[in-house]
Amino acid sequence: MNRLQATRHLIGALADEPIVASLGHPAYDLFGAGDRPSNFYTWGSMGMASSIGLGLALARPDLRVFVVDGDGSLLMNLGSLATIGWQKPENLVLVVWDNEEYGTTGGQQTATAAGADLAGAAAALGISASVTVNTEDELTFAVTRARTGRGPWVIVAKVRETPPAGKPPLDCVFIKQRFMRAIGAPEDATRSQ
Amino acid sequence: MPSDLTSPLWATGVCAGLYAAGSRHVVYVPDNPLAHVLRLLRDAYDDVRTTIATREEEAFGIAAGLYLGGVRPTVLLQSSGLGNSLNAIASLLVPYQIPALILISMRGDAGEWNAAQVPMGRAVGAICDALGLPRATAETAEATADIVSLVGRTAFGTRLPGVCLLPRRVTVPNATASVA
Repeated sequence: MNRLQATRHLIGALADEPIVASLGHPAYDLFGAGDRPSNFYTWGSMGMASSIGLGLALARPDLRVFVVDGDGSLLMNLGSLATIGWQKPENLVLVVWDNEEYGTTGGQQTATAAGADLAGAAAALGISASVTVNTEDELTFAVTRARTGRGPWVIVAKVRETPPAGKPPLDCVFIKQRFMRAIGAPEDATRSQ
Repeated sequence: MPSDLTSPLWATGVCAGLYAAGSRHVVYVPDNPLAHVLRLLRDAYDDVRTTIATREEEAFGIAAGLYLGGVRPTVLLQSSGLGNSLNAIASLLVPYQIPALILISMRGDAGEWNAAQVPMGRAVGAICDALGLPRATAETAEATADIVSLVGRTAFGTRLPGVCLLPRRVTVPNATASVA
């Protein structure tokens, strides 16, 4: 499966759960597959998507928080798996689009091209619900289980790199405020003293 | 304000200040002086959660997620860790206007004994200025609660991360050569 198809299957299996997207192609394809107010697109901070998802999951145990990360991005912040494995937020689902390359920057190989096993790393760091999926059916099955089952979950989806399907809004503050309203935490409520 | 006679005054001030600014979740990478703060939070602030990160940049990512969920985050770190944090601060917190109260335990300032701590310690102020982050310094133990609270209120009110420096002359007033 390619990443855009996989992203379409992901959001097709969800309702309005929040999705935090890593910068570059994962965010572009999330937008291309279907813009939603509860999508939080990052435009920088490579590696931080899983950490943003962790913070959101800790702040909002009433929500099921999804993250779409890339293999290169997760490798940049691998310590995040140790923190998630320790904190064990039951409501966090980390989906990793593993195309075995830095797709946004020209296709340089990542360590997963040489066999690095991100789901295995997650399991070793305390995230027992870690799985690698290779087909759309396997992805949909894993996401459907992760929507309600006790997490944290790490779903590493092996995908083919394809040209991205679009670009999200460029206005970072718009993305944030729309997202916070969508999840019922409007920013003005946060601001009030 | 909870009191704890065994905690140094600056540390009780840090806790009281962040609490007064409305922060109820502290993400941190520890250092020796900050251990006083963390112990006091654990013992006297039942409604303040703490989360340890493996690296300072990760702490800022977690803090951003907390804010998106409606929680006002505080990040505790040593000055050496500011260097590890810059891309998250510069390309996530600042452009998205995601505030955090940032408390930096200083190394490399007056009282330092470790040369490896000096360059980053000396650069902290210029780095904050270059990023446009407001910064203040807790000049004395007695002033710490007020300045931490003010920096936090300003950060959360203006949606810009704010930095309060905790200098070594305050956190380790009798420093000789033993604190790492």
